[in-house]
Amino acid sequence: MRRRVQVFAGALLLALSGPAAAHDGVEHKTPEEAAAHAAQSKAPESKASGVPPPLPEAALPFPIEIEAAFDLVDQTGARRSERDFAGKPMLIFFGYASCEAICSVALPRMAAALDILGDKAAALQPIMITVDPVNDTPEALAEAMPKLHPRLLGLTGSEAELAAARAAFQVEAKKLHEMIDGTPIYSHGSFIYLLDGDAKVLTVLPPILGEDRIAELILKYI
Amino acid sequence: MRALITGLMLAVLALPAGALAATQGERVKIKGEIIDTWCYFSGVMGGPDSVVGSAHHTCALWCAAGGIPVGVLAEDGTVYMVLKYEGDDHVTGGDTILEVQSDLISADGLLYQRDGINYLVVEKVTANDGLVNLSHEDYDVIPPFAIPKPKQ
Repeated sequence: MRRRVQVFAGALLLALSGPAAAHDGVEHKTPEEAAAHAAQSKAPESKASGVPPPLPEAALPFPIEIEAAFDLVDQTGARRSERDFAGKPMLIFFGYASCEAICSVALPRMAAALDILGDKAAALQPIMITVDPVNDTPEALAEAMPKLHPRLLGLTGSEAELAAARAAFQVEAKKLHEMIDGTPIYSHGSFIYLLDGDAKVLTVLPPILGEDRIAELILKYI
Repeated sequence: MRALITGLMLAVLALPAGALAATQGERVKIKGEIIDTWCYFSGVMGGPDSVVGSAHHTCALWCAAGGIPVGVLAEDGTVYMVLKYEGDDHVTGGDTILEVQSDLISADGLLYQRDGINYLVVEKVTANDGLVNLSHEDYDVIPPFAIPKPKQ
């Protein structure tokens, strides 16, 4: 077992070691070797011209260029758009109140990260945009959101309004089925978006990160 | 031991900020297994060898369907968080890649290294060898409740 842990730890360290790490199954012993291999992996036209080839339409780049836009309703019934948060960074997650899957990981971790940051993130607005407008009414969100964090803002709206918000963030959501008691199960994108005061995405955070790491990254960017 | 493994996993996800901050994608060729990143990194269902392949396939389907990001576990142990997948404009996490969960794929893509995390945009899957990691032969079903036993 110890050997397995050592092997596993070694593999993990590869992920940390930047250019010296293997990136396509080939282990590099030195940064120079890694750089040479990486160069071989690039498209020929890239090497010839020195200019990266255009991206295929199917492969959009890292979604750092997203400028958020939404026009929804919060748990008090007030309409909210990204313009209401001008000058304030936002932490946005798409989910739903009755979700027992990734939401039950991501939302508590977002909340815990806020508590870790305390006053350092006083200006940060945490938001959950629902993918379940049928059940996540303003009244339902008013009950559910404070249980997660007192500062968490829940946003809902019509199907069309929520679809527009998801499109702006490139988030997919689909109702898979209903449980016997009628509780819906949604499949939905789960990366957490960190936005600056101009509603521009600073980075995305995998929801499986621990709250300490989420807090650390938030502090790095805001 | 599980705590140790979990600690190691968390250590990977707790890299110093800015260590690998890059905004430009690097063209890469990746070969690896589509995995459930939550069960793999959290250790909640068992060690890393048991939460990949056929042993964990059912749970991995549930996790992916529930929105948990999928990753590609390369042969060298590197995990790539799949940000987008061939032909889909969405940031992954939905049910887009359910059909390839646990499969061994080869792909061309763009690698973005930010904050110590490997984000992968899969441009094109060049080969899909299917579910070839028959881990159920060693671990049976992980977790066992992923496939409920019929009532007697």
